[in-house]
Amino acid sequence: MSDTGPDDLQRLGARLDAAERKRATGDQRPPPTQASIAFRFGTEMIAGLLVGGGMGWGLDWLFGHFGFHTKPWLMIVFFVLGAAAGIRGVMRAANELNAQMAAAPAAPSVKQDDEEN
Amino acid sequence: MAMHPMEQFEVKPLIEHPLFSIGHHDIYFTNQSLFMVIVVAAASLFLTLAMSGNRLIPSRAQSMAEMSYEFVANMIHSSAGEDGLRFFPFIFTTFIFVLFCNIFGMVPWSFTVTSQIAITFALTAFILSMVIVVGFVKHGFGFLKLFVPDAPIYLLVLLVPIEIISFFTRLVSLSVRLFANMLAGHTMLAVFAGFVVMLGAAGGVLSILSIGPMLMIVAIMLLELLVAALQAYVFAILTCIYLNEALHLHDHH
Repeated sequence: MSDTGPDDLQRLGARLDAAERKRATGDQRPPPTQASIAFRFGTEMIAGLLVGGGMGWGLDWLFGHFGFHTKPWLMIVFFVLGAAAGIRGVMRAANELNAQMAAAPAAPSVKQDDEEN
Repeated sequence: MAMHPMEQFEVKPLIEHPLFSIGHHDIYFTNQSLFMVIVVAAASLFLTLAMSGNRLIPSRAQSMAEMSYEFVANMIHSSAGEDGLRFFPFIFTTFIFVLFCNIFGMVPWSFTVTSQIAITFALTAFILSMVIVVGFVKHGFGFLKLFVPDAPIYLLVLLVPIEIISFFTRLVSLSVRLFANMLAGHTMLAVFAGFVVMLGAAGGVLSILSIGPMLMIVAIMLLELLVAALQAYVFAILTCIYLNEALHLHDHH
């Protein structure tokens, strides 16, 4: 009893540390399903295109009011930039997902791990 | 088909006459406004009544209110840090509003406020403007560093616009995520409910088969309850994450 005491305490300490770490890193989100991952990537990409194209269109419209006839060039340029932003968003989302998967090694099955890599 | 699955999302004025008008736009009191009033009243009533006892050993309702408080406080603390807690009232209100809208939408014949892109987009626009204001108040023009990644000067010409666009894509991705999830779930429920009616009306063996989609509805209903809570959570935590970026700029990398 007396020799197991310190061991128990150490184990408890380790568990407390682990719990603290989990709390500090924060993410208590449940691991996302495949469908929600797909949906997330889709919205990121389309959001980039929409916002980019919309911004370019707005700028064209704005400049048009001041007598600069940029139409439709800014929209085209911003649409391409928006595509880049969309891809960046997808990459960021993928990084987040990877970090989340790495932080919770117990949660996903082995099969899902393989699919992730 | 008599019942259209998208009919449930129709916004219609409940009072014939517009309440008032802004410019050339008449503002009506719609079924959507009614459900927003109900949701806000129910949420305020629930939280106030639950905490009114203020007992040391909480009642069931009180512990629900306390748990939601602690849940949101922990969420902000872990994703936006200590100084993020100053925004607790705002994020708690957003979370509770979205959660109650989603849950109230699950009640049959009710109207799901969050299934309207206008609502989710307005919420998101408000959140993002707040993030921008907080960023400028906290860091002055240093906030603009958020849009400047570590890269050689000649690449910045290309990267800064991309960063700015990618900041504003949140406007779309956050609002569309909530709206599409609610819309899809409720449409699916209505479609399966339509199957029940059609099979039931078909008569004979087909009528017995209508138990299939009926069971399916029960399962989807449970799934939708989960989605309702999860989407409220996702909405709130993303708000925290954006706030964190405005508060701490590049620290999170």
